[in-house]
Amino acid sequence: MTVKSKSEKLGQGVGFERIRRITGYLVGTMDKWNDAKRAEERDRVKHSMNSHA
Amino acid sequence: MITSIIKRDGRVVLFDQHKIAAAILRSMEAAQDGDASDAARVANDVQRELEAHFSAEAPNIEAIQDAVERQLMNHGFSAAAKAYILYRANRTRAREANTSLMKTIDEITNTDARISDMKRDNANIDGNTAMGAMLQIGAAGAKAYNEMYLLRPEHAKAYREGDIHIHDFDFYSLTTTCCQIDILKLFHGGFSTGHGYLREPKSIQSYAALAAIAIQSNQNDQHGGQSIPNFDYGMAEGVAKTYRKAFTRRLRDALEDYLDLTDEDAAVTAIITQAEEMTGETARLESSESYLSAVALGLCQKYHMDKEKAWKLITRASTRAYAKADRDTKQAMEGFVHNLNTMHSRAGAQTPFSSINYGTDTSPEGRMVIRNILLALDAGLGHGETCIFPIHIFKVKEGVNYNEGDPNYDLFRLSCKVSAKRLFPNYTFLDSPFNLQYYVPGHPETEVATMGCRTRVMANVYDPTRQIAYSRGNLSFTSINLPRLAIESGGDEKKFYDSLENMLELVAQQLLDRFEIQANKHIYNYPFLMGQGIWLDSDKLSLQDDLREVLKHGTLSIGFIGLAETLTALYGHHHGESEDMQKKGLEIIGFMRSFCDRISQEHKMNFTLLATPAEGLSGRFIRLDQKRYGKLPGITDREYYTNSFHIPVWFPISVYDKIRLEAPYHALCNAGHISYVELDGDTARNVEAFEAVVRCMHDFGIGYGSINHPVDRDPICGYVGIIGDVCPRCGRREGEEVPPERVEELKRKYPQMPAFQGIE
Repeated sequence: MTVKSKSEKLGQGVGFERIRRITGYLVGTMDKWNDAKRAEERDRVKHSMNSHA
Repeated sequence: MITSIIKRDGRVVLFDQHKIAAAILRSMEAAQDGDASDAARVANDVQRELEAHFSAEAPNIEAIQDAVERQLMNHGFSAAAKAYILYRANRTRAREANTSLMKTIDEITNTDARISDMKRDNANIDGNTAMGAMLQIGAAGAKAYNEMYLLRPEHAKAYREGDIHIHDFDFYSLTTTCCQIDILKLFHGGFSTGHGYLREPKSIQSYAALAAIAIQSNQNDQHGGQSIPNFDYGMAEGVAKTYRKAFTRRLRDALEDYLDLTDEDAAVTAIITQAEEMTGETARLESSESYLSAVALGLCQKYHMDKEKAWKLITRASTRAYAKADRDTKQAMEGFVHNLNTMHSRAGAQTPFSSINYGTDTSPEGRMVIRNILLALDAGLGHGETCIFPIHIFKVKEGVNYNEGDPNYDLFRLSCKVSAKRLFPNYTFLDSPFNLQYYVPGHPETEVATMGCRTRVMANVYDPTRQIAYSRGNLSFTSINLPRLAIESGGDEKKFYDSLENMLELVAQQLLDRFEIQANKHIYNYPFLMGQGIWLDSDKLSLQDDLREVLKHGTLSIGFIGLAETLTALYGHHHGESEDMQKKGLEIIGFMRSFCDRISQEHKMNFTLLATPAEGLSGRFIRLDQKRYGKLPGITDREYYTNSFHIPVWFPISVYDKIRLEAPYHALCNAGHISYVELDGDTARNVEAFEAVVRCMHDFGIGYGSINHPVDRDPICGYVGIIGDVCPRCGRREGEEVPPERVEELKRKYPQMPAFQGIE
């Protein structure tokens, strides 16, 4: 097993994939989301499990 | 003396008075107001007016047209003047549409989708690919045509200015939205895709493969999603066929080994056939005692063996056939998921929008399907990626899978575990009163099924004997910009409701206009959807029939966006902030629902109220409203309007309160609804907590819900889970490299991980 020479800098410039739900559907990466939906995703807050926040 | 004029494109051409007279005459004829000699007189005065104003320079087209309008009025031809003004306005609109169309195509052609928001309007079309761009260019052309030629002027204006949004407008003249495909009905007797005939499938592998093909084929006939409402019941038949065949073969193998014979195939097949004829049953995952006794009897007679030995062979064959069926089902489900994530429709530009509903089939075969599709979802794709398609929808029902002791409770628990990792399945709740009223035990077609985005059909005003989920879907939907109505009313509640009623009427008319276009289509326009009898009653149509009557099983839906901003504009707060506002919110949505019910009765058609899935829309309406009203605090000061009846995504609220407040809107929005809960990653991975959220949804009467939590993946080391700034497995930050020795180390530590990039 060898590492290809061209890939010595494995991962450079490669981002993480972040899967999110949009209108019921999942979208693989947010690159393809439109601006409004990106903003909406950014603003989402987590909901607490306590019965009254 | 006028000798030349300046055209719109700047060219200078010779002045020709006959052309002016001809244009005037056309208006006079259109309005039946004046004749050729009148036209000549008016044209003379136009020339006179122009000469008075343009002594040295040449007049431009706009100045000439202004003069024509004035002179028509001066001469008392007011009807002709009106026709002329209308003609001029239409020409202007057409010219603008052409220019804007060309600009749009230019942007599609030359701008990278990462920069062009327009090209990311639908996140599942890659506008950077050739076929994706072609699709977008076609859509732009269709939209321009539809607006110019098919919409009434008042609908075009409302759409253009953002009072309403006509969804899938590019398909306005072409087709309907979506359908729940009854996969069993389609398979029985085989079917044709239009490119070839497929025999009735005979194994779970071919059931699953053909199910994917059915989704793909139907997607080409409609613009929305495709769903299978009975995935477990449907695939169970395939499992039974696979098991029956496996049982025969394993029995033959066991027998041949025991008696040291070869080629007992025909004899064993004869014994099986005889047992089937005697009992009217076949081998099943849990075969009946009487069937197995008949097989044992056959073995004893044919091979003169004792009963005990015959049963031993049968038990061995059963165990092995079970293992084989389970293995095949697992592979079939994995193949199905892979297919739906990789197959293309619409000239390769899009993966079909697919959904599958399951969870309530309690037969051993159905349970095998449910378990294996969940395991396939859990495993992910080839590199462990989370599957984007299909949307999995788990149907929750008391007495079937909800409580401990229910036959499928174990599968419900498994679904929670999988969803906590993979975001699917979503949950639909058959016990919520608006779903339960249709539920008839033993009739899976009466179990509500969801088109993954949220669309549902159940009630049927057109044919109350067919209140079922199967073979039906939405025809078209149009959404109302609720916040704008609230802003325009200036806090005057009566004014708001009056304008809302007007807008509802306008939308209902526009939906009916669109229905007229759809109703005049024929079977041959939809070779799969209608030609293969997928749509309800389409199998009763002949080639000449139009689709009017069968389409009435579908729904015409009125949607809305931004209840939260609407309440804020009217009363200063939204429904997450006070119980009073919740009451006001329910009044508004209740008002819209009553309107839908009323016109449904008037037309004997299914008008339903939709909590719109607003993807492109959330930004479009608010951009237009920001231009009009500026950034109003709590109303237009973000980049999006809040989805349907949701509590705003940025508003801090507990899981419990969010579900409690949103649930009553599910009952009102009968065209479809969804509620989301956002959990942090640690909570989501706690299966008890996850299940508690699903139970909370059930108990509050949610119709359809899903739980969001972060699912990240590092494509370099293959880690799936929550990634903050640093990947917990390989330790790199986004964009950073992983040193080669660290890669080697990881590879040794996680040998089951899919191939690392760059390693051979």
